[in-house]
Amino acid sequence: MTGPSRLRTARTPLRASPQLRLRIGFILIAMVLSVFAARLVQLQGVDPDNYADMAAEEGTDTVLLPATRGEILDRNGEALAESIDGRMIVADPALTADDAPELASFLSKRLGIDYIRVLERLRVEGSRFQYIARQVPASLANEVVSDAADKGFVGLFTQRDPVRQYPFDQVAANLLGFLGTPRKDGSARALAGLEDAFNDYLSGVDGEARYEVGAGAQIPLGDNTVTPAVDGNDLTLTLDADLQFYTQQVLQQTVEGSQGESGIAVIMDSRTGEVLALADYPSYDASEPQEWPKSRYRSSALTDVYEPGSTQKVLTLSAVIDAGLGRPRQQYVVPPVLNRQDRPIHDHWVHGIEHLTLAGILAKSSNIGTVLAADEFAPGVLRRYLTAFGLGKETNVGPRGETKGLLPEGAAWTDQVDDRIAFGQSLSVNAVQMIAAINTIANDGVRIDPSLVEGSATLDDGTEVGTDHAEQRRVVSVEAARQTALMMERVLDPEDGVASIAQVPGYRIAGKTGTAQRVSDACGCYDGSRTASFVGFGPTDDARFTIYVVVHDSRGGGGSAVAGPAFAKLMSYALRRYGVPPTETRPSQIPVEW
Amino acid sequence: MSSSTAPQLRARLPRIAEVAVQRARLTVVPRPRTRPRAPRVPFVTLVSAIMLAGVLGLLLFNTSMQQASFRASALEDQAMHLTAQEQALRSQLQVLRDPKRIAARAQDRGMVLPTGAACVLDLGSGRVAGTCAGALPDVTIPTDAPGRKRPAFLDPPTVTVADRAASSMVIERPEGRRHGASDRNPQR
Repeated sequence: MTGPSRLRTARTPLRASPQLRLRIGFILIAMVLSVFAARLVQLQGVDPDNYADMAAEEGTDTVLLPATRGEILDRNGEALAESIDGRMIVADPALTADDAPELASFLSKRLGIDYIRVLERLRVEGSRFQYIARQVPASLANEVVSDAADKGFVGLFTQRDPVRQYPFDQVAANLLGFLGTPRKDGSARALAGLEDAFNDYLSGVDGEARYEVGAGAQIPLGDNTVTPAVDGNDLTLTLDADLQFYTQQVLQQTVEGSQGESGIAVIMDSRTGEVLALADYPSYDASEPQEWPKSRYRSSALTDVYEPGSTQKVLTLSAVIDAGLGRPRQQYVVPPVLNRQDRPIHDHWVHGIEHLTLAGILAKSSNIGTVLAADEFAPGVLRRYLTAFGLGKETNVGPRGETKGLLPEGAAWTDQVDDRIAFGQSLSVNAVQMIAAINTIANDGVRIDPSLVEGSATLDDGTEVGTDHAEQRRVVSVEAARQTALMMERVLDPEDGVASIAQVPGYRIAGKTGTAQRVSDACGCYDGSRTASFVGFGPTDDARFTIYVVVHDSRGGGGSAVAGPAFAKLMSYALRRYGVPPTETRPSQIPVEW
Repeated sequence: MSSSTAPQLRARLPRIAEVAVQRARLTVVPRPRTRPRAPRVPFVTLVSAIMLAGVLGLLLFNTSMQQASFRASALEDQAMHLTAQEQALRSQLQVLRDPKRIAARAQDRGMVLPTGAACVLDLGSGRVAGTCAGALPDVTIPTDAPGRKRPAFLDPPTVTVADRAASSMVIERPEGRRHGASDRNPQR
């Protein structure tokens, strides 16, 4: 009996009871079904749109509607920076390698690019995407690619690649900045100047069009959604492109002529504070920035500080008059040397005891006389005046990286510092600050914030700048400003002044020279080099333009010899350009000595 | 009156009631006489015709829309090309307006900058303000740009040769830059 029983025991596990087998079967089916159910819940409950979207995606075309970057215009609507539709020409080496030499010679001829480089790119192995040329104007790119196709070349195609052009190359490049190679998504890469500071304002927002396509054309009545692109805003500057060009060239001539290191020239509309020209030398070409050193991608008129020197005396003496501590004819006895706390103060010319009026102190630019006149100030008053003139505070005209200059404060403003600041040492300014301060005198004692942007525009940090936001405030009385202007006129007098070279034939001009010792970057001390400058406005009795010329490390002489002639050229040109008639009144004859 | 009581009632009632009972029996309502049927063919034809016309119309409409869509695509392409062309021409024009180019051309033709005394003619009164003077010869501005970046190899690092015998001697730059002159205040 052992045989069958063993057989039965051996067979039983193989053929379990039907219920058990059914149960196992049901469990398996239930498991599979619950996987299906879970997937169903996932598809319909958790993520219902995914597959629907994928289905819709087939046969739907999405087109980027690129926003056009705003132009940068000068005050007359002349485009200084403009965007045009551009293309990158791309090759697929798998297709182009065969006729590479012919295609390379065709492309290098049509696009003006390097033959060898193109040839290499057309032959790159294992690649299907090689840039041939970037930022080619769309019309040229399309023409070249279609001509290539006509000649039987294959493997060339184009993609969007917007082009930013600076048609006037060097004109105002110091302020405009430039755009680098666009990012992968075609958005602009602003690298310097106003392009960078106003990037968001200029950029705009790209739009998108989605529609169903069939056979390459849009299906009518199909799904069609269009989000229109919002173009960037145009940025209108207060600059006058022609005047800017002339200013740059005159500055170049001046700096090169005096073997100087660098220079700045600014022209401002006296009545509105609008900057009509702002030149920096040396500068660069915004169309080919890579050819120039990076250190030039800025406007040193805003980013660099220096000691203003004697041009500062205008501010000090106007404050003296406004405070009622002196009059133009007030008489001063000027000793040959003024011994002060830490060291003696000298004048730029050797003299005995001079009998100068306040006008004479300015006309002859006497340091000693200025210190004597400023001695009358109560402590802190001179600083209050200089702060009101806008020194020690950014002008916020637009470009990033502006310096606020250095106006000593609190304990740093010692008696010695007070003396030196009176004639322009121991404080530092940027050129736009300084011209805005001097313009206060031209504008009858009211300081107007300088502006570079016409109307209003928003910086990337959210600040609104422009002529609409330029504030005015009275710094000195009308009387004090006019008397200071008449004293400044004596500076250009052929007999009594030091800068007759800056005269403009036919016009009454007020001005002031400055020859400051320069703090060298290397040692942080006076290294014997000088900053020559000239600031002035005209016509004296109805000022239209304020002009400031600065030459750093000039070898050809001081403010009058170096910057004076440049000032005269610029003033003469500006007055003619804007048709300002001579006022035909007699220049001031306030005595300089007594 | 429930139906269960009916047989008892019938048994009890005399025959006279039979007629009434007969009458109360349900009979089939006679079918109403049908009206003559309207011919179906014209209606079917009309509906078919309308449907056909609709389908054909839709087809034609769709085809013409499709055609218009192709045309729209083609015109958009053309517009894009023309815009690109216009932009190219504009930028060429802008390059021609470059003040540097104009200044260079003017100076090539012997023109000079006006630097003499200016005078202004008031067209209203015919009065001339200021004294007129002619331009001076040879007053020009540079029209070439300041130099580009020099390649680094043109400016090799300075090699200083130290003379051991005179090592204490300091060779100054020819410009004679000196420090410590700050007690003079050569401001002008």
